[in-house]
This record gives sequence, C-alpha cells and structure tokens, in this order.
Amino acid sequence: MRRHIVARLGQSLIVIIIVTTISFFVIRTAPGDPFSYTSSTITPAIRDHWRQQFGYDRPIPEQFIRYVGSVARGQLGYSFTRREAVSRALAEAVPRTLLLVGVALSLSVFLGVIVGVLQATRRNSWLDRGSSAVLLTLYSLPDFWAALMISLLFGIWWKVLPANYMVDPSLHDYMRPWDAFVDRVQHLILPVATLTLLTMAAIARYQRSAMLEVLPADYIRTARAKGLSEREIVWRHAFRNALTPMVAILGLLFPALLGGSLFVEKVFSWPGMGLLASEAIGGRDYDLVTATVIIGSVMVVVGNLLADLLHMAIDPRVRE
Amino acid sequence: MRRLRPLLASVIALAACTSNEKAATSSAGEAGGTLIIPTSGDASDLFPPFVGEAVGRAIQDMVFDRLAEIDTTLTTVGDKTFTPHIARSWTWAPDSLSIAFSIDPRARWHDGKPVLASDIRYTFNVFNDPKVGSPVAPTLTNLDSVTVRDSLTAVVWFKRHTPEQFYDVAYQLVIIPEHVYGSIPVEQLHTSELTRNPIGSGRFRFVKWEAGKRIELIADTANYRGRAKLDRVIFVPSDPATAVAQILNGQADFMEAFLIDQASKLDSNTFARPIVIPLLGHVFLSMNRFAPKSKTTPHPIFSDLRVRRALSMGVDRESMLRNVFGNVGRLAHGPFAMNASYADSSLHAPPFDTVAAKAMLDSSGWRAGADGFRKKNGRPLRFTLTVSSSPTRRRYSVLLQEQFRKLGAQVDINQIDGQPPYLALRAAGDFDAMMDGFSPDPSPSGIKQSWSTSGIGKAGQNALLYSNPKVDAELDSVGTAFTPLMMRQHASRAFRQIIDDAPAIWLYDMVVVNAASRRINVTGMRSDGWWANIADWTIPPDKRIDRDRIGLATPKS
Repeated sequence: MRRHIVARLGQSLIVIIIVTTISFFVIRTAPGDPFSYTSSTITPAIRDHWRQQFGYDRPIPEQFIRYVGSVARGQLGYSFTRREAVSRALAEAVPRTLLLVGVALSLSVFLGVIVGVLQATRRNSWLDRGSSAVLLTLYSLPDFWAALMISLLFGIWWKVLPANYMVDPSLHDYMRPWDAFVDRVQHLILPVATLTLLTMAAIARYQRSAMLEVLPADYIRTARAKGLSEREIVWRHAFRNALTPMVAILGLLFPALLGGSLFVEKVFSWPGMGLLASEAIGGRDYDLVTATVIIGSVMVVVGNLLADLLHMAIDPRVRE
Repeated sequence: MRRLRPLLASVIALAACTSNEKAATSSAGEAGGTLIIPTSGDASDLFPPFVGEAVGRAIQDMVFDRLAEIDTTLTTVGDKTFTPHIARSWTWAPDSLSIAFSIDPRARWHDGKPVLASDIRYTFNVFNDPKVGSPVAPTLTNLDSVTVRDSLTAVVWFKRHTPEQFYDVAYQLVIIPEHVYGSIPVEQLHTSELTRNPIGSGRFRFVKWEAGKRIELIADTANYRGRAKLDRVIFVPSDPATAVAQILNGQADFMEAFLIDQASKLDSNTFARPIVIPLLGHVFLSMNRFAPKSKTTPHPIFSDLRVRRALSMGVDRESMLRNVFGNVGRLAHGPFAMNASYADSSLHAPPFDTVAAKAMLDSSGWRAGADGFRKKNGRPLRFTLTVSSSPTRRRYSVLLQEQFRKLGAQVDINQIDGQPPYLALRAAGDFDAMMDGFSPDPSPSGIKQSWSTSGIGKAGQNALLYSNPKVDAELDSVGTAFTPLMMRQHASRAFRQIIDDAPAIWLYDMVVVNAASRRINVTGMRSDGWWANIADWTIPPDKRIDRDRIGLATPKS
C-alpha cells in the first residue's frame, strides 16, 4: 500500500512537471506578453523597457530556468494584471473555487446517488424512464451553455437570484451579518446549481448501472429470503456494494468539475481559479497562467490520489 | 437536525466575521451618496508614473492632484485655461525658461503630511527616470529640472520656451508624495505594495483594490479644495452585458461607453439617462503601403496612391455612420477629431463617389472581371481587413467589406480577440488593412507620434510608417506656434497633406454614450476624461437610496 502511494506520488510529480513545462512554453509562444495589454498610448520603447526590466526579453529557455529556480524557492512570481504577488492572488482564488466545487460535488454525489438508486429500484417505471431522459439531456449539455442559460433565466430574465460575483461587489462589506450571509448564499446558488445539475446526471447514471449489477446478485436474493425489508435490502446491502465503483468515478469527476468550473466561473463572474486563469491568459500574465496550471494540476492529482486511497480503503480486492 | 445546529451556527458566525461593523453615520446635507461604476476592465496601475489606461487614469485623477488643472476647452497653449490646484499661484521668469510654483500651504497628503516643493522635484525625477520607464516621460522632454526655492516654492526649468511648456508640467505631471515613495528603489516601484495602495492629495482618497473585483474610493473630508460631494465611488470590473443590465435596473450608477446598439434603451429607462460626449479620438481604416511585416517591400495593392484614394471615395461613410451610431455619430473630417482644439472643420475626407472611384481603379490597372471582382496582372484585388474585438469596429468592418465588394474588391475580415495579439500585429505591421484608432491627449504634439517620420519606430505610434517631409515640417511648426490660431493653421496644413496622401479612410470621430443614473447631477464632463469634475457631482438628498446612506464607513480589509 505504502509503495503504491509513493509510486503514485512520483507519477503525480512527473505529471505536474510536464504540464507546467508545456503551459510555460505555450503561453510564451502566443502573441503578446504582459506588457502588450496596456494602453495603446504607451510607446513600444516603453514596453521594451519594461520587458527588459522584468526579463521577458530573454530567450524562453533562460526564462524557464529562472522560473524553475523561483518556484524552487517558493516564489511563484508577480501578476502584472492584478499588480500583486501570484501567491496572494492564488490564496484568494483557490478557496473560492474549492468552495464552489466542494459544495457542487457534495450535492451532486448526494442527489446523484439517490436518483440512481431510485431509478434502479424502479427499473422501467415511468420514474426511471422520465428521469433517465432528463438526466441524459443534462449530461449532454455543454457546461458553458448550461451556465449561460441558467444565468439568463434566473439572473436576468426572472431576476430571482444574482447571476454575477461571489457577493454584492459594492455593498457586501457594509451589510449586517445576517444580510451578508444571505447575500453570500444567494450568490452561491446559481453557479453551484449549474455544476451540480451537470455532474449529478453523470453520477446518477453510474449509480443506476452499479445498482442494476448488484440487485440480481445471490446475496441480495438471500437477504430477501431472510425476510428483510426492501429498504434494508436496498440501502444496507445493495447500495453499499454499488458504492465501490462510484468512488473510482469520483476521481474522474473532480478534474471534470474543475474544468467545468472554469466556464461556470467565467459566466457567473465567480472570482475563483477559473476566472483567474481566464483573465491571466487574456492579459498574457505569464507567471499567473503558469501558477494556475500548477495549482490546477496539483488539485487534480491530489483529488485522484484521494479517490484511489478511498477506493483501496473500501475495496479489499484493490488492496491486494 | 441536532447535528446540523452547531454547523449552521458556525456558518452564520463565519458570515458575521466577513461582514463589516456598522456603517458610519451617513453624511448630511449636499454631500453624500455612493456611485457604482461598472468598468470594462480592471485598472492596470494606480501609481501615476505607470498609469496608461482609462480606469487607472480615472482613479489617478481622483486620488492625486496636479499643480494646475486644464479647463473644459482643453486649450494647451499658455496658462490662461488653467486653474490653481496644488499650486496656489505661479510666476514666469522674464526669459520664460522657468516657472516658480507656490504650493498651497493648505494642501495635505491623505496621511496628513503637508505637500512640499520637494514633492514636485521628486515627482519630476521619478517620471523622468529612464529606469522607471514612465509612459509620460516622452512628453516631458522639454523639462530640464525642478529645484526647490523654499519648502513651498518649486521652480520648474525648461530647455526651450515653447507654447505648451505650462501644459507640459501642469497636465502631464501628477504630483506624488516623496515621503511615501521616496524610500523605494525606482526599479521596484512597479511591484511595490505601496504603489498599489496610493496616497495622494486629491478630493477622493484610496480605500481598497481587490483585483478583478472592485476599487473603492471615499471622500477626503479634510481636503484643501473642499470635500468631494459624493461619499464614495466604487469601480467594479464587469463584462459589457452585465454592466448594461446593472445600469438599466439601477444596480449601477454610471457607465462609460454604454453599448451603442442598446443606447436607445436609455431614453425611456427609469433609472438611467444617456449623456453623449464627443472624445478627442477618431477611428480610421489604415491601408498599409508596405507588404505585411515588411518595411521596404511595397504592398501589391496599397502602395498605389490611386488605389487608396479610390477606396476612400468608394465607401459611403455617412450611411455606415448612421447604420452603426444612429443619430449620435460624428463623421471624421481627417486625421483629427473635431472636438480637439486644433481641429479644422473646413477640411473634409474625399467625397463619396463610386463612379470616380471605379474609374480610378480602372486607370490604375485593376480591371473588373466577369464575376465583378477586379484583377491586375492576374492578381485579384483581395486583401485582409484586421479588426480588434471592439463591437463597433467589427460592425464597421462588415459594412466596409460590403462596400468594397461593390467596387470589385474582395475583403477577408480577420477578427482578433484580445488586445495583445491585435497590438502585436499592429506594431509588426503585419496587416493589409486595419481598423485603427487614435486617442491623443489634448496637445496636438501627440499627432506627431502617429503621423510624423519621428513617430516611426519604437518611440512612436506610426505603425503605418507614414512619412512626408511637408507634414513633418508643419507638425514641427505646430509645436512652436504661440497662439491657438497659428497652431491651428499649421495643423490644418499638415492634415490637408495627410488627407491628400490617403494613408487611411477617415471613418468617424469617437463619441461615447455614457449612461448616468437619473438621481445624479453630473457636471463638467471633459472630452479627455468624463471623471474630471466627479468630485462636484451630487446626489440630492431626496433621491438617495440605501447604498447612498452607507456614509463614510470603511470596509473591513
């Protein structure tokens, strides 16, 4: 088990290094640089001066070596679009994304599992068919389109919930505690709902399949023969065994959710990692782009590792 | 449920921690109110020597002061149009090579320290230091030095006596405090935390900058020029669609450059009204005389003056203007905006005449084939039109494509998303034709950067590599004319020559429809910046809403 974890950590480190290297070179080969975005009244000579001052006029391999050196010293660089240290920008953005993804993942798992179990236990009923059709539709929706539609419907046309920002950007700081809490929750609803609906659909479909494999098993028939109630059979025996494949899927869902959050954050102006990365790419904010890729990779790798460990913990066959 | 209670309590407590203590008492009387301004992007800098874009300029001008302030005529010759700010008065030396500025003894920085003559000297040194790389530095070349006569008298020395020497020092130098920034090595000013939290002497003081989220200013209640009449101004970066929605439903109070295709909604909107402001900029279609990326190889189409003139005459600029701007647009007269102090309304771009345009194309060898498209020696009259992400310019590019088609020219539109790649193409001359624009400061000397030979290269903005000795001479004379009339005459002759050379098709003067909340009294908007007199904007007490009653509380950091 320990050897497996060490091996996975080693693989993860290699993945992070490769992804970082690729992103470092790709963003630098795109047209423009951190000093191209500024006002057109700034002359090329001034831009060149700034490039020279911050080393962006050096050959890209040299910049890479310098960057690796900085990262090794724990310095992720300076963000020119935000005028602050990259570490500070990340320290603000990462918790916001984790909040969004965390709440969405928890809700999707909770709702997805329940829907999947209900579908499997009522196989071929109108509930199963109807909900399958709805879930398939949700599963097929592109995340950015779903986010836009939800934002339009609830935020702009019906105006029942705020469709932008994490809190009211102007008045939140001056609200009373309860109003501030309500404000925070209200702003969370639409982006979380978008991510939840899309992810829940996938979870429900996997859960339904897993349950359908388990329900005809011999031990379920035995449980029934022992006179256990249907509720006990489903939730105590079938569900627990059908949960194992779900854990493996969670490892895959986490990166998908992170990827989806990029679009959702953009549409809902949620100031997390996705929006940060998108703005950094637009402003050719080299250090910030590379840092968001590093942190994104770390989050995905850690998520996968945790899912693996959980899988090993609950399934003795994997441990062997 | 029992398990949930502690969790719920913790969440509520957490929310309580993130909120602010009770707001301070709201201001009484005329002063008061909160202005929320959605902006198209975040500021890129708040420290005056580095500020270049509009949001940064707005905040800089609200937080910092100049020695004197130009009036709404934006006349840059002499000192008659300037009113005292940090300088209470000024005295010219008999040879006009120096001006002694007397600092207003009441002027204070926002940290309470007095504004001193040494601050003026420090400001000049920072702006002018090559290690700083201030974008303003090229406009300060006539300033020689600043000396301190006494603690409240700074003497600015000039290299030459010029018509705009007062403007050079009063408009371009935004005064910064030495005691705050003087200890920072100039190479580190760009990344210093102190320059991100500016301390100025303006009628608003800086409160908070949450990158990508908001920048907040509040009134400096003890300001020597009187407190700002608004309590608070909050800039919120928003995408245009969100900003428009916020303006139309009253969640925001002011928006610069409301989306032009939705501007008519403001006429009947209960929350906001339109304010049309002509700017100093103009937009044109650049025609590259050289092959893309080349500085020597002639362009196969645009190197021919007759072709450039024909294309200029072959587009109906008036109908395009009406199509895009409705009745608020202004047709461009040439390489200047009519709102500039040096404009000449007697100049006109070539008139719309498709018959003459087609004849000119025929005579230059571009003959129409059976399909209606022109060719010369087997080469089709086909070129790429590069356009930035500006919705207005994109609409124009499509209209131009259709107009050129009628002349027998095929146009491929190259839409570039994002400013960096667009500016990179422009700087490299990597385009056939490009939707371009120029937003100069009030001085006509800015025109040299775009249209004189000295503007070619990295020190200027002359991406078209346009060069004409007659134009150079006239533009040089513009800089030495001591009366507005003489300045206009030289500028006019330069413009006439540029129009004759047809390096571009002059499309429209920049006009913005700003949206302002109906509860705000807006005064004194200037063409070089809508915010120039924002400290005198008011919200009458009977029109105030909840957010106007926050008062002067500061948010929890």
